[in-house]
Amino acid sequence: MSTVEEYQPVFTGKARERLDDILSRYPTKQAALLPALWMVQEARGWISDRAMTEVAEVLGITPAYVKGVVTFYTMYHQHPVGRNFVQVCTTTPCNICGAEGVLQAFLDATGAREAGATSPDGNWTIIEVECLGACGFATPVLVNDDFIDGVTAEKVPDIVKRYR
Amino acid sequence: MPDELVNLSIDGVAVSVPKGTLVIEAAKQAGVLVPHYCYHPGLPVAGVCRMCLVEIEKTPKLQISCATQVAEGMVVKTQSAPAKSGRTGVLELLLINHPLDCPICDQAGECELQDFTFQEGRPGTRYSEYAKRFNPVEDFGPDVLYVPNRCILCTRCVRFMEEVAKEPVLNVSERGDRAFIGIHPDARLDHPWAGNVVDLCPVGSLLSKDFLHKARAWELDKTASVCTGCSQGCNVTLDLRDDVVVRIRPRPNLEVNRYFICDHGRANYRWMNRGDRIEAPLVKNGNDLAAVDWDEALARARALIAGAKGKAVALASPGMSTEALFLARRLLSRLDWTGAFQVTMGEEAPLAGVPNLALRAERAPNGKGAELLGYGRDYAAATKAAESAGVVLVLGDADAAVKTAGAFIYLGTVLPDPARAADVVLPIANVAEEDGTFVNRDGRVQRYSQAKPAPGMARPAWWVLAELAAGSGERGLGSAEEAFALLASSVDAFTGLSYARLGLAGRKAASGARVPA
Amino acid sequence: MGYPHKSHARETVVLSKHFGDADAKSFKGWVKRGGYEALKQAQAMDPPALIEEVKNSGLRGRGGAGFPTGLKWSFMPKEKKKAHYLCVNADESEPGTFKDREIMRWTPHALLEGTAIACHAIQAEVAYIYIRGEFTEPFQVMQTALTEASAAGVFGKTQIYLHRGAGAYICGEETALMNSIEGKRGNPRIKPPFPAAAGVFGLPTTINNVETLVAVPHILKNGAAWYKAMCLSNPKSTGTKLFSVCGNVQRPGNYELTMGFPLKDLVNDLAGGVKAGRTLKACIPGGSSVPILNREETESCLLDYEGCVEKGTMLGSGGVIVFDDTADMVYQIMRLARFYAHESCAQCTQCREGTAWTTKILERVLSGQGKMKDLDLLLDLSENMTGKTICVLSDSCAAPVVSGIRKFKSEFEAYITGKKRPAAA
Repeated sequence: MSTVEEYQPVFTGKARERLDDILSRYPTKQAALLPALWMVQEARGWISDRAMTEVAEVLGITPAYVKGVVTFYTMYHQHPVGRNFVQVCTTTPCNICGAEGVLQAFLDATGAREAGATSPDGNWTIIEVECLGACGFATPVLVNDDFIDGVTAEKVPDIVKRYR
Repeated sequence: MPDELVNLSIDGVAVSVPKGTLVIEAAKQAGVLVPHYCYHPGLPVAGVCRMCLVEIEKTPKLQISCATQVAEGMVVKTQSAPAKSGRTGVLELLLINHPLDCPICDQAGECELQDFTFQEGRPGTRYSEYAKRFNPVEDFGPDVLYVPNRCILCTRCVRFMEEVAKEPVLNVSERGDRAFIGIHPDARLDHPWAGNVVDLCPVGSLLSKDFLHKARAWELDKTASVCTGCSQGCNVTLDLRDDVVVRIRPRPNLEVNRYFICDHGRANYRWMNRGDRIEAPLVKNGNDLAAVDWDEALARARALIAGAKGKAVALASPGMSTEALFLARRLLSRLDWTGAFQVTMGEEAPLAGVPNLALRAERAPNGKGAELLGYGRDYAAATKAAESAGVVLVLGDADAAVKTAGAFIYLGTVLPDPARAADVVLPIANVAEEDGTFVNRDGRVQRYSQAKPAPGMARPAWWVLAELAAGSGERGLGSAEEAFALLASSVDAFTGLSYARLGLAGRKAASGARVPA
Repeated sequence: MGYPHKSHARETVVLSKHFGDADAKSFKGWVKRGGYEALKQAQAMDPPALIEEVKNSGLRGRGGAGFPTGLKWSFMPKEKKKAHYLCVNADESEPGTFKDREIMRWTPHALLEGTAIACHAIQAEVAYIYIRGEFTEPFQVMQTALTEASAAGVFGKTQIYLHRGAGAYICGEETALMNSIEGKRGNPRIKPPFPAAAGVFGLPTTINNVETLVAVPHILKNGAAWYKAMCLSNPKSTGTKLFSVCGNVQRPGNYELTMGFPLKDLVNDLAGGVKAGRTLKACIPGGSSVPILNREETESCLLDYEGCVEKGTMLGSGGVIVFDDTADMVYQIMRLARFYAHESCAQCTQCREGTAWTTKILERVLSGQGKMKDLDLLLDLSENMTGKTICVLSDSCAAPVVSGIRKFKSEFEAYITGKKRPAAA
């Protein structure tokens, strides 16, 4: 029988210190919410309901409030994603420069098959995103925190190889 | 210092309102109801539904009247073509995903989406070839169901929990047309005042489980009343279907409960429909109680009272009307009178965002009224004194576990075992079956009205007590209003008050007055 | 400069002078290039004098609204009774726009200097630079620069903090940005109250775009008159602007031009025009939220605030998106509608439901099942979505739809009549 793992808090030790420093920048605790959520995602890879409760307790707000904020911002993951998380811009300026071909190239090269789904080996999740603010360098792609300019369908296999 | 007044015109009607008034409120004075959803006078302004769009001269764009303050000389047009077109547009967009649930939706008949669509909506849909968004019904907690498909995202519920209940347990989740009202999986909507979100919801999205599919809005008879759950005295409306109370809803009173009632009061109505009522007057006949008519019962009771000497003890329920409590004392005033009442206590639950509003620890509506009329709180002592009293009156289903050497007269709606020892049992009406008043903890005297007939031969307590005092052949009192007038002329605290002056919102009694002997 | 290309002779290189110059990113490198002198200058001036100088320069907000910057600063309370705040809008998410990213990753100190000067002008002790979450590299560069400059003590009592966004275009709207900083959903606020009266945390706040702020040090060093004189057309539009040219052009990039420059020359000359064998079909001059121009309009439009309005569009953020004859206008307009539907915050009925419905109708047209009355419906829907909401995201969705249907009707009709087959799924 599997046991329910006990939740390990994120905001202890150095992380707690870092949060305290962030808290000192704002006149309200609530303003540290977005930075705190980033810290959770950096530590755990995603933000669970349980983690939202921890953040709520630490900041003196309700879990429902935290959840409302988490679901508003698209960069926060509410469930685990592949080891490499790829965001491909397909909004109009990139779209007319072949962005959808880049998306398809990623899906093919990684075995992820479908945008939003994680590849069977668990290594890749590819999603379509809106304008990444690098339209002159079509097509920009984020692989985890690496912002890669000028991606074309031809360049995709090399990029995928680099992150294997 | 009087508020500075601003003069403006709304649909050609000139109005004068205090500075800072919102156009939507000023419009009410002009007799104009601007259609709206997210706006509510009891909640902070959101300005999101965009339904209350009006045209204001010299302003290029339509403005939302819920967020626009009046200005001197402003000319507001709510019925101009652009204004109507703007609102019709909003209605169309609200209806593209809103399901045609009216036949199975509780809100039908009291639904603001229905109402305004009839008034200003398009006759048909242009969204015919697309699927409507679908999400399953969610259980938010003790009494509230959330039907996401019907939700128009007005956020009244979110704002109520956040700003009035001060417990932000509801959120808006997601973005765009994927948005819905969310709750954290670990949380329940169990705040003591959470039921108000059901009233606030303009459509049938937030529903009361208790009321689910019970009755149609147009079948309901609505009567103004006062909640009997505690001493706060929230104003309520009793909704009845075929003379059965099926729902209690808040009635606005800015001085008492604003627009809200607590869940305890909201659920506190089933007892009003009890079937096990005393249906006829009863008199002691050997070891039994025998049913008799009113003449005989009253005659027997009058005789007992007339023959009583020494002490008189009135053990009253603080749920009795002020009129009845007054008449009970007056009836026995020639004797050495002691009156007492007993209150059940519970946990207080304030509504944090409204000053002086809470579910009060004292779970009775008329404790203050009893106090003003000279009833004390030492029920145990009074019960002891009753043992040697000449006559004991137990009123309004108060605890009848009393032994007395004197006469025992019981006025109640039901007959518990201890009351079977009474010499005379007189059946009375409950709060839904009579007119009367309660005095809340702040000394506010408030009227409640009869919503349904009393069962069997039961009569209002004020009538019974007036008859007992009148003597055979004489006339008692003809109405609760008369009873109150008598009270007002006899008791300082109530001087100058009358049913007419109390109206539907009540008035404060004078404080610190004594009851004349 | 037309980074990543070399500066074109017809550019007016001021803000983009050090794009591509890695050494300019460091504090030492920036100081070597004359950095932080303007800040010293500003710190010695009275705030009213500082505001007056910026007013006289004619600088207008470069984020998209074009509101006179000096005037905006002057809305802050003159008498300091509460804490004042500056918010820097680095949320750059308007499709077609990519100038602020370049400013931050090549000249981070320019932004810090402009920020500090603005703080002095509006008497703000604290500035938050709100950087969109996806800008990982600019965030790192700004962080390093901020650490270095703070250590050097150039900011005096001013505290500058970076605040990272998390994926929401709407947070580029100034009141939504403030809500996001406060740790809330990025919902725009109804106005009044205005930010200068009650902004972030309910306190007096000014919000400025990145490109606006980096112009300020130059204005101080060279004088308002110098800035004002940079004007090729309407005197109400002065100074230089970074135009982000993208789409079907041979040399996409940021080109810095004096206001009033002809759009035709920017596209065909500086940016190399469309590929050989293709023709220019359409151009959006100010980021996707402004009306689309057809070829004739593109070729006669001047790039300043008034010039664009004359052509029925707006300068906006200056994101120039070029479409050649291979672009499927119906598909791209659908893609833009989908963008707005994805980004709608969900507050206003017209936006929340209207952007989604617009997208659905366009998808149906593209699938070959559209009807002619769908075009009337789209125009009617767009009318309902314009001028009736808290912010202009709703209007922004309507703009390409209305201009697209009016100017490229034949492309819509081709799908509806079946003349054009739907693209393979």
